[in-house]
Amino acid sequence: MDKHGLEEFDYERDNLHIRLKKHSLHAQGAFRPFPAPEIHVAGGSHSSQQAAPAATAPREAAADAGRSDDLHVVKSPIVGTYYASASPGSEPFVAVGAHVEAGQVLCIIEAMKLMNEIESDVAGEVVRIFVENGQPVEYGEPLFGIHPHRKK
Amino acid sequence: MFRKILIANRGEIALRILTACKELGVRTVAIYSEADRNALHVRFADEAICIGPPRSSESYLNIPSVISAAEIANVDAIHPGYGFLSENANFAEVCEASHLTFIGPSPDTIRLMGEKDKARQEMAAAGVPIIPGSPGIVPDEEAARKIATEIGYPLIVKAAEGGGGRGMRVVREQGDLMPAFQTARTEAEQAFGSPNVYIEKLIERPRHIEFQVLGDRHGNVMHLGERECSIQRRHQKLLEESPSTVVDTKTRKKIGDQVVKALQKIGYFSAGTVEFLREESGKLYFIEMNARIQVEHPVTEMVTGIDLVKSQIRVAAGENLVDVVGPVEFRGHAIECRINAEDPVTFTPSAGRITAFRVPGGPGIRVDTAAYADAVIPPYYDSLIAKIISHGHDRAEAIARMYGALGGFVVEGIKTTIPLHKRILTDADFVAGNFDTHFLERSSFAAAK
Repeated sequence: MDKHGLEEFDYERDNLHIRLKKHSLHAQGAFRPFPAPEIHVAGGSHSSQQAAPAATAPREAAADAGRSDDLHVVKSPIVGTYYASASPGSEPFVAVGAHVEAGQVLCIIEAMKLMNEIESDVAGEVVRIFVENGQPVEYGEPLFGIHPHRKK
Repeated sequence: MFRKILIANRGEIALRILTACKELGVRTVAIYSEADRNALHVRFADEAICIGPPRSSESYLNIPSVISAAEIANVDAIHPGYGFLSENANFAEVCEASHLTFIGPSPDTIRLMGEKDKARQEMAAAGVPIIPGSPGIVPDEEAARKIATEIGYPLIVKAAEGGGGRGMRVVREQGDLMPAFQTARTEAEQAFGSPNVYIEKLIERPRHIEFQVLGDRHGNVMHLGERECSIQRRHQKLLEESPSTVVDTKTRKKIGDQVVKALQKIGYFSAGTVEFLREESGKLYFIEMNARIQVEHPVTEMVTGIDLVKSQIRVAAGENLVDVVGPVEFRGHAIECRINAEDPVTFTPSAGRITAFRVPGGPGIRVDTAAYADAVIPPYYDSLIAKIISHGHDRAEAIARMYGALGGFVVEGIKTTIPLHKRILTDADFVAGNFDTHFLERSSFAAAK
């Protein structure tokens, strides 16, 4: 991929839409500049995965997260690269201590050059961020630990 | 050669590809679903990435997830194995668009071979015999009579939109043609909403014979002999062998040459299998081509000494077939038994935990498996848990070695097809080479239920 300095490339077939932009992102590399995110919905599979992930048993990484029973772990719904902010240099979507609402964007996971906004499925306080900006993440990898607000 | 390959598969074939990559000094990336967290392909790969939940459609078949994993791992090629995305022309195209080498034929070739009617026409045009029949729909009695005279009896009238035996009539003599033609049309109309039927020569007691081929990106194609895969049930192959007891040197050369010529014309590269039906007279008719590595490829590897998966990777990297394979020589006889996690009598899948697992060995025995003691066979994927391949200097030795190996193969906790294979290997007709694709439906096997 490095060999090809792609600027932009659109590919469409059936319900799959790939948009290759400037080729600058790498799993191993540090966070590098990329164009302002454009949110595409990449076919049915991705849009459904964008829905809030189910809170199943947290993995090891989450186990030491504060040991609070009501810690809600938001996991990555797709494999890709994690970005904390909408564009390089801009403020992260959330930081530890922030209060978030259900449906609020927490981060972006880039998969196949598509920027997928990951939303919180609960309202609460962000108490832990398990990943670092630019890091590759697997499906099901814990991203955030959130203390849900008590229901009134 | 590639630097790093992503293996877009699981189970024994993922391990098989891993082995080939290690020999070539290529780094490997495994992908896996949540159900395969403890699978061996995950453990033995240099890197492993979880790409989704257990269901194949959301993991191993999910193109964006597979491509995304390839990108974050920064690989230069993807090996699809068999099944899953291996014959998905769309996926091969996405790989190309993402500058990843798809280890398989071109998207156009995959698409062509996926459209069975078109593939048959192309192969026929390139000189490979296909089953004689009407070129398309048979519109009326007059046309039916004409085509029947041409191809002879017995023949079969089939619904164009059909399946499952409806709208289908076997005709053994001319006097039965018109009633059969009319009934098939009426049945087709009622069952599928269209009276369209076509007519084809009936292949009685067919045997399934297939030719292994390998092509490079420079226009070279070669065949590596045939495999006999007639021992099947519900169109699933269960036992394969090479050479076939009914293919002689002359036929092998004739059909092999036809296949090579046709595939050169089509521009085929990578590994592939050209499938034929053999009628009792000895004539072979092309039915379809599988544009991928196959489950039963080790049978050919054993008799030719050629590593097909390694060769497939090398030609994908642009190497010339002449350097990769060299002259082909056939030695001895090889048999493969597919060990499935299923009830050997009812054929229902038997998922669960393997409590004991002991693999046989000895001269001429090879076992390809990703199973182990304490492994859990998930219910989401196919039921193949191991392949035993035996090799002997002749068929009798290969059978004897296989029978011994089956006896020394211990799998506890789940049911397998091991007992069924033992019965096949000791069946007088099997030993005599007297069988066809209906072998397992015969009374002696049906009675064991």
